[in-house]
Amino acid sequence: MALKPLSIAWRWALWVWIALAIVGAFYYAPLAQDFIGQSSRILFFHVPMAWASFVAFLAAGVWSVLYLWKRQPDHDRAAAAAVELGLVFAVLATLTGAMWAKVMWHAWWNWDPRQMSIVIALAFYGAYLVLRGGVEDPEARARLCAVYAVIGLVVAPYLYFVMPRQAEFSLHPQPVVNATAKVEMNSRMLQVLLVSSFGFTVFFFWVHGLRRRLLRLADRRSVAP
Amino acid sequence: MSWLSEAGAVFAKDWRAELRSRHALHTLLLFAVTTLITVSVALGPLGVSSTERLAVLPALLWVILLFAAAAGLPRAFVHEEETHTATALRLAATPSAVFAGKVLYSASLLFAVEALLVPLYVAVMQLPVASAGDLLVALVAGGLGLALASTLLAAIAAQAQGRAALFPILAFPILLPLLLLSIELTRGAVGGPVGDGVVTNLVLYDATMAVAGLMLFPLAWNP
Amino acid sequence: MIEGGIGWVAAVNLVIWTGLFLYLLRLEAKVRDLEKEP
Repeated sequence: MALKPLSIAWRWALWVWIALAIVGAFYYAPLAQDFIGQSSRILFFHVPMAWASFVAFLAAGVWSVLYLWKRQPDHDRAAAAAVELGLVFAVLATLTGAMWAKVMWHAWWNWDPRQMSIVIALAFYGAYLVLRGGVEDPEARARLCAVYAVIGLVVAPYLYFVMPRQAEFSLHPQPVVNATAKVEMNSRMLQVLLVSSFGFTVFFFWVHGLRRRLLRLADRRSVAP
Repeated sequence: MSWLSEAGAVFAKDWRAELRSRHALHTLLLFAVTTLITVSVALGPLGVSSTERLAVLPALLWVILLFAAAAGLPRAFVHEEETHTATALRLAATPSAVFAGKVLYSASLLFAVEALLVPLYVAVMQLPVASAGDLLVALVAGGLGLALASTLLAAIAAQAQGRAALFPILAFPILLPLLLLSIELTRGAVGGPVGDGVVTNLVLYDATMAVAGLMLFPLAWNP
Repeated sequence: MIEGGIGWVAAVNLVIWTGLFLYLLRLEAKVRDLEKEP
């Protein structure tokens, strides 16, 4: 591998980091109260995936703002890659959430506000991809998608953080950071959760970089003289 | 030309064109009325118990309005792009003025449809209006929100290949929070349960959409 | 689930993660190759 030693190092460090999170989720963190059996362990994967999808959608918005400002195609590609990955993470979060719901409340779907809000987010960013496929001119495509992703900068925080908290009744456990701004979670659980979340975030940026480079290569080929 | 008169000119032009053909009005009204007939046959006094009706009817009203809007509002831009008058409009007026004019046009269209549909709906479905004020606020704030979001998104959709067909896909996720709020307020207006701060949230939604639209529309509109 | 059962789930997760990781390393090498071509 013709990589600088530091580049090799951080990738393997990420492997160790996430492996630690996995081991920690099953052996270091205690079980949460009020959860059936071992099911609370899903928390350490389900929440970081949802978090990573939010980071992805936020990043897409930021890159879209950059694109609208500088009009550099690479920013558009970065935004598109972020949306794609964000959708993957969001789907995974929805699936793990449904698995958890089945164990806890014996139904895959419960019309819980948080479940609904992530589905709306899926619809929103899925629409981004539909829009992307529906505009032929590359510059118009980049511009229109960027505008849509910037709308997402308002929509995503609302869906992820405001809407689930406004409902009077929710099946989801109280969010870790709640109205009193205090963290109410066993410290070992919190540690694993944070380690996992950080790992997933770094993982997102790594895969995103790869996807972005692939998109750049594809563009390069299509305009080859 | 001042910004206000530009916006006013766009508004006037759209209405002048609309009154000639009455295409959008026909689409919106016919759609709303036929849906109303369908709904009333299925859910009229004999169809659903009165307690369930209070839960269902406010939601149905807004579903009808949503689909009517999706059927009738995108035309504001699709028509311009298809007949290539959009280029002239881009040259003639500042983008934010175009946005404001189009929003006012779409909102007034929706208000016209609401003015006809809602009394009909209340009468046919025998809805007990406990608070007309709340209902009015819901219709105005909800209708304005629909118009604001639709104008921005129709401008985007009109420049894509799918045109009007793409509009619902782009719009529905964004409109869903607005709809939920409007439905809740409407439910309160007919005597059902309503949460705190619904009116505040509706106003916030409209304000956010207005700001987002004014800032983003020029970017979507101009190449 | 018993203690032994959890070990299996953890092991499967580690295998999936390691597999994904190695795949990404391979993908990265391929991308670097493609980027070298003038």
